[in-house]
Amino acid sequence: MMGTGKFWVVSFLVAVGALVLTRGFIANDYFFFAAYVVLQYIVLSTAWNILGGYTGYTNFGVAAFFAVGAYSSVVLHKLTSLPVPVMILVGGIMSGILGFGMGYLTLRLKGVFFAIATLALAIVAQTLIVNWDYVGGSRGIYIIRPQQSPLYGSYIQYLYSLMLILAWISLAIARTIERSRLGLGFAAIRDDELAAEAGGVPTLRLKLIATTLSGALMGMSGAPLPYYVTYLDPASSFNLSYAVNSVAMPLIGGMTSWVGPMIGAILLGTIQQLATVTISSALNLLIVGLLLIAFVIIAPNGIVGLVQARRRARARW
Amino acid sequence: MKQPLLEVSGLGKRFGGFVALESIDLSVRTGERLGLIGPNGSGKSTLVNCLCGTLRHDSGSVVFDGRPIDGLPAYRRTRLGLARSFQLPKPFRTLNLVDNLRIPLLYTVNARPGARLSNGAIDERCRALLADVGLADKALRQPRDLTQVEMRKLELARAVASAPRLLFADEAMAGLSPSEIEEILVVLVRLNEQGITIVLIEHIMRAVMSFSTRLVVLVAGQKIADGAPQEAIRNPEVERAYLGE
Repeated sequence: MMGTGKFWVVSFLVAVGALVLTRGFIANDYFFFAAYVVLQYIVLSTAWNILGGYTGYTNFGVAAFFAVGAYSSVVLHKLTSLPVPVMILVGGIMSGILGFGMGYLTLRLKGVFFAIATLALAIVAQTLIVNWDYVGGSRGIYIIRPQQSPLYGSYIQYLYSLMLILAWISLAIARTIERSRLGLGFAAIRDDELAAEAGGVPTLRLKLIATTLSGALMGMSGAPLPYYVTYLDPASSFNLSYAVNSVAMPLIGGMTSWVGPMIGAILLGTIQQLATVTISSALNLLIVGLLLIAFVIIAPNGIVGLVQARRRARARW
Repeated sequence: MKQPLLEVSGLGKRFGGFVALESIDLSVRTGERLGLIGPNGSGKSTLVNCLCGTLRHDSGSVVFDGRPIDGLPAYRRTRLGLARSFQLPKPFRTLNLVDNLRIPLLYTVNARPGARLSNGAIDERCRALLADVGLADKALRQPRDLTQVEMRKLELARAVASAPRLLFADEAMAGLSPSEIEEILVVLVRLNEQGITIVLIEHIMRAVMSFSTRLVVLVAGQKIADGAPQEAIRNPEVERAYLGE
């Protein structure tokens, strides 16, 4: 197994390598347009998995955190001329606070009750935004992109680069958690909360860390959205498909490891992008549904689970 | 006289209109092997849950090692040295046996003031604890690969991993065969000899009688006897509760 320090270095080099290669060799802007979405889903599903996969609390309110990040950028865009990375940071903080609040209010609920509460949170947040005129209300708002990218290349390439870095950071955070004392505490909570508490695990504190971190990463992935779409409205930014995808991707990839959400996001995200271009974007949810059914039957522990099972079987041979 | 390790006074717990525990007084001395018996529904597990912080009691006070612990969350009590095993084993089912024990070591032993164990030392301690209960060869297995009696042993090992001063063993032998009960008793007696005070909550009279140095009997949420085991079970009230009029 790779040490944590080594992983950070190697994965950073991979991320930079991907950045340089794609930007050096691909001239078509559409590639970056599509890749941005896939990368955004790597961040979202990794963030979802920190709470859902590691700690065992299902969050259906992904859209709330995502949109709070996006709308905090809208406010900043109107008030200031801050660079996008700073907006990402602010969006992360806002959604992190929301995550902490949600955790504090709902973590006494378990299982399906918690899931419903998170779904309600998304609806409440959407209602607030719809009625907030300053950020466009229900008619939405146009965001004029700066004319030039702060770095070389087009603006979409710039956003793509930011999202790539964000994906790298989320994956590195997830992997670090997985191998730490914190990750073991999360696993204990997922397996049995009473036993975890009896084993000295401060369950409430750990769950708050999970909701805050998970929410913050979701908000960060939403913060560049206004610049990506240039027209933001509540119906699309609070779209249920964000939640469905963020849950489906870890399920398909595998929830026990940081690799799972990444594989799921790349696989499902790419298929959806291809389907959007070749057939219709209306097909996306159908694809998710069919894949979910297939995986629940064939590989309930996701792709990572399949590989692990095969490895274990071989070791026993 | 030395102050008791655990001093419970006037402890009460209600669930709605149902009085589960009524004004329980109990003191446990360091090094003792205390048996806690009572018919089903008499409040044994509720008492353990109140003392370990899983439930909050409504009245009375609990003092552990000279320190009031009323209202402390369960994890803080474990860190103070008050451990429990669960009546139905609650292993961390996705973790292997070593990691199951690593959790109390990381979150309890290493969370106490004083020397921190290194990762290597924790690994060693986990394996030693598993060896103590005869599970050394299953260290990297998952709990689902264990038998009932092995599951009980894992449950005990995990409670002991937190290096407790007082251990509540809640029906650690329910559903086991006589030879398996013997195995668990051996483990418990050895733990007691290592200096852990043990409260054994149990239905199996033979096991309780051979293990305990003192016996407490609960009936319908009230303590009706407390004393030497032979005397306690000859108490007329206890006989009535167990055998009927």
